[in-house]
Amino acid sequence: MSAKIDFSKISFLVVDGDKISAQVVFDTLSYLGAISVKRVGKPEDAFRILRAEQIDIIITEWRLRGMDGLEFLDSLRNSASSPNRFVPVIMLTAHSEQHYVTTARDLGITEFLAKPFNAKALYSRLVSVITRPRHFINTDTYFGPDRRRRQVPFDGPDRRETQNRSRN
Amino acid sequence: MTGQKRPKVQIIPPRTELRQRAVNFTKGFDIDLAPEQLEELEKVVQRSSDSFIRSIGHDLTESRQLILQAIEDADLRRAAVEKCSDLAYATKALGGTFDYPLMTQIAKSLEIFLAKRSTATRRQLMVAQLHIDAIYVILASRVTGFGSSVEQATTIALAKLAERYAEPRE
Repeated sequence: MSAKIDFSKISFLVVDGDKISAQVVFDTLSYLGAISVKRVGKPEDAFRILRAEQIDIIITEWRLRGMDGLEFLDSLRNSASSPNRFVPVIMLTAHSEQHYVTTARDLGITEFLAKPFNAKALYSRLVSVITRPRHFINTDTYFGPDRRRRQVPFDGPDRRETQNRSRN
Repeated sequence: MTGQKRPKVQIIPPRTELRQRAVNFTKGFDIDLAPEQLEELEKVVQRSSDSFIRSIGHDLTESRQLILQAIEDADLRRAAVEKCSDLAYATKALGGTFDYPLMTQIAKSLEIFLAKRSTATRRQLMVAQLHIDAIYVILASRVTGFGSSVEQATTIALAKLAERYAEPRE
């Protein structure tokens, strides 16, 4: 018997000013069984919802009116008034060039999906967020999911110091 | 020891509430969807195809009219560039999703051409207009996929034209 995901147990917030794009994501989530799916066009409205109710996963566009998706992410992860610094965020955007991906990653994005997208790619990002949660890393310059997806052997000195490690 | 202060790192264990709440063996969708399930899911995405075509068709018409006016009236150029930038982004974003990757290609060329531009010269507006006309032809003729060699040659020609008239950028 294979493992399943019950999407009715998860609440979603879609932040996208493009009505058709938001509709596609809404339809997909609804088909998967999600019951709680909120849609807004602006981050300001997203914050209002985040302060009022529990949201488990955010799917946001980068290009938004007013505050853009990246500033939204930055506020979520780093602002002292953030309603939830740990909420998983999927960036779904047509800003798909490498430097956009790197920038989003360095501000704490959980998953990145380039538009145009298909159902399979969206589903795989949802599965990843739900079934493979990552460590969060907190440093002076970064707060967000661990950016390393793979464990790669490293021969150099460890330059980090964790709170658990005794100091020399 | 180099004497340099080591950066402090706090490693916070993964939050597993979502997994605990949603993953089970009885209800919902398989983590690994079967091909036929994926096909069904893709059909859900395609439900919005008609809305996309209507919306883009409407925006193309409006943008084209605005460009034609802006070619003659410099006061409208800023608005025309903004409108065309929005159109380029929206088309680039969703064309490929609805099996119009050629539309995405041309829209991307237009988006790059208009990037970091708040206004445009008469010739630059004409270049934007040619992109819009090309997208309109794809839409009107329902050219799905990447089209034939003619369409590909047109796409390359538009990109070259955009490169040629990229300056000034203001």
